[in-house]
Amino acid sequence: MIHVEALRFAYPALAGGLSSGDLWPPLSFTVAAGEALAVMGASDSGKSTLCHILAGLAPRYTDGEVGGRVRVAGHDVLGARPPLRTVGVLFQDAAMQLFNASVETEVAWGLEALGLVPDAIDARVAEALARFGLRGLAKRSPGALSGGQQKRLALASVWAMRPRVWLLDEPLGGLDPQGRREVLAALDTLRQGGTTLLLTTLRPQAAQMAPRALLLHPPATSHHATAALLDAESALVEAGVHYPPRFWPALTGPTREAPAVTLEGVAFRYAAGQSPVLHDINLRIPQGQFVALVGANGAGKSTLARLLNGLLRPERGTVRVMGEPTAEQAVGALARRVGFLFQRPEQQIFGTTVREEIAYGPRQLRLPEVERRVAAALERFALDAVADVPPAVLGYGRRRAVTLAALSALDTPILVLDEPTVGLDGRGWAQLLAWLRARRAAGVTLILITHEMALAACADRVVALEAGRVVADGPPDAVLPGIDAGALA
Amino acid sequence: MSLVRDFYVPGHSWLHQLDPRVKLWGVTVGVLAAFALPGWGPQVALLLGMHLLLRSAGISWGVLRAIWRQMALLVIIILLLQPFFSPDGAAIVAWGPLQWTWGGIHAAVVLALRALAIAFISGGLLLTTSPPALVRALVRLGLPYHWGFTISLTLRFLPTIHALFLAVRDAQAARGWVTEGHLWRRLRGYLPVLVAVVVNTLRMSDQLTLALAARGLGADSRRTTWRDLRMRRLDWGVLALLTLAGGVIVVGWWGRL
Repeated sequence: MIHVEALRFAYPALAGGLSSGDLWPPLSFTVAAGEALAVMGASDSGKSTLCHILAGLAPRYTDGEVGGRVRVAGHDVLGARPPLRTVGVLFQDAAMQLFNASVETEVAWGLEALGLVPDAIDARVAEALARFGLRGLAKRSPGALSGGQQKRLALASVWAMRPRVWLLDEPLGGLDPQGRREVLAALDTLRQGGTTLLLTTLRPQAAQMAPRALLLHPPATSHHATAALLDAESALVEAGVHYPPRFWPALTGPTREAPAVTLEGVAFRYAAGQSPVLHDINLRIPQGQFVALVGANGAGKSTLARLLNGLLRPERGTVRVMGEPTAEQAVGALARRVGFLFQRPEQQIFGTTVREEIAYGPRQLRLPEVERRVAAALERFALDAVADVPPAVLGYGRRRAVTLAALSALDTPILVLDEPTVGLDGRGWAQLLAWLRARRAAGVTLILITHEMALAACADRVVALEAGRVVADGPPDAVLPGIDAGALA
Repeated sequence: MSLVRDFYVPGHSWLHQLDPRVKLWGVTVGVLAAFALPGWGPQVALLLGMHLLLRSAGISWGVLRAIWRQMALLVIIILLLQPFFSPDGAAIVAWGPLQWTWGGIHAAVVLALRALAIAFISGGLLLTTSPPALVRALVRLGLPYHWGFTISLTLRFLPTIHALFLAVRDAQAARGWVTEGHLWRRLRGYLPVLVAVVVNTLRMSDQLTLALAARGLGADSRRTTWRDLRMRRLDWGVLALLTLAGGVIVVGWWGRL
């Protein structure tokens, strides 16, 4: 069904003199009808681009230069756009794939494009919603769904069109464990239907769906039996795809008696009349401690974190940072003490060059030795080569590195990281953990919100939130076993 | 940012279920009436009528009060300034060439009532019609599908962009971004926020282009419509009434000319 022969692809050269050669050496592979192939590779190794080429979207609707031969279900997709029912694509960012006002009209939209009569659309919409567990959500707005639900809706919308070949671009990307479980279950039903599919992924869980794997490790590519590739691990680690816990550095450091952060009887709600997000939180975090904050989505973790850097002020109670109440300090002043990494940090970049982006914080805060800070951050996150390139043109992996570099240049005594590992490849994990190890050794207080239990297990202390209250607080050995991974996610 | 979305009050009343094309026609006739009917009496009648209509469609007093609040500033400006532009009769107060007259005040009151009537007539449409239904009506009335779809996309992604704006603003505040100081300094401070929002909006639109193409926008086959608008008996009845009322207004207006 998919025949690729000597495929090459190059994006146009970037501003700033960064050359962009071919993404891979000439690529050849075949996926027979009913077969599945997993394409594994680090961020920026061209996985999404490969999906876009096979779908006939690149370079038709993007920049770039292509060579070789690609046939999908008998159509030369480089020559002409394949007919609608040939390929179904699940894009990496499901939210961008959903553009209708409700779940049911989302599923119906593609069927209208196929020219189906309304009765046939009725039947297919009902069937697709039932199959992907979305029946109860038919009237909801796609924007209001959870990450896992959005992916399932995207799958349902494509499935309703009955494509002959499926392309799944990082189907588990950006999801928490609960979302990953939901989507894996949905993908299982897809596989049982005997569909032909190609999926790209960083996640061994997803790769397992396909018996064969293609590993992109520029400048090389290699074919594997998926089971053997996942068992050996070393090839995946080397390619920067995966970074299993046994390779992780120990994240230990000195702890002092004095508190970095204290919360006394803190309650918070977003608006009068709404129900409180946090109730009576009491927490004392000594300087140098590594605290993992865990809990289900909506438990109040991100809200709690925002109280620590003054973006939110408590409705009742007191939040103290290094002994001083946050209520009396401006956010700008608190930024010297609390370094904060938000979710989806790659969206918050604005600098004209990587160097400017990293220098922004230290300059705003009038910190000394801006040059030295920037140079050190560039080196630690391997960004020297792109220092003078606009960050907006970099790939996802590099943009994530830029956000960490910008944070590291502030050199704050407290770090609050909100789900810093979501979407990271093996290389990103390795960079993040190496940096955290160094910060911890220097006595920095580390507060980390995470759904990754293996990472929470590295902390000195785990605080579990549930519906805005602390329900468990203690060393990982004591807290984590009591937490049901399902309830948590 | 989400003004248009916030207008709609979901419900199942007869006015909600009325065909949006009929409601559009109703707004046309209503606005025509507000402009064509002379004096304050008909305007008060229109205003009262719209309140009764909206109440019968299950729109709460709270929502109606919100429209009054939204209109308050405009009404006050009209009442204060309009008399200067339409002096009529003896002056009550005069500042040089500027004067308030009873005639002018009367004209201002009529104008303010007219503005209010038009606001509530438009509210009759916007409060009871979901944005997608409104777009569908416009497309059925002849707006090219791609234009209508573009409006829908904008409505769909405005909240996303707004959320992005808030996220970027918070992230930059956490890196020492300053919101204090004089106006110029604050405006300049917003520049990085806007840059990040624009860059990401462009990135989103690139992805959206691919997603739309993959699902068949611009495909050769002819699009069908899943839930097409259908005129029911009530729709025809209301349409006939509105048209009759419109006819009477137009004839009366011609008569006066």
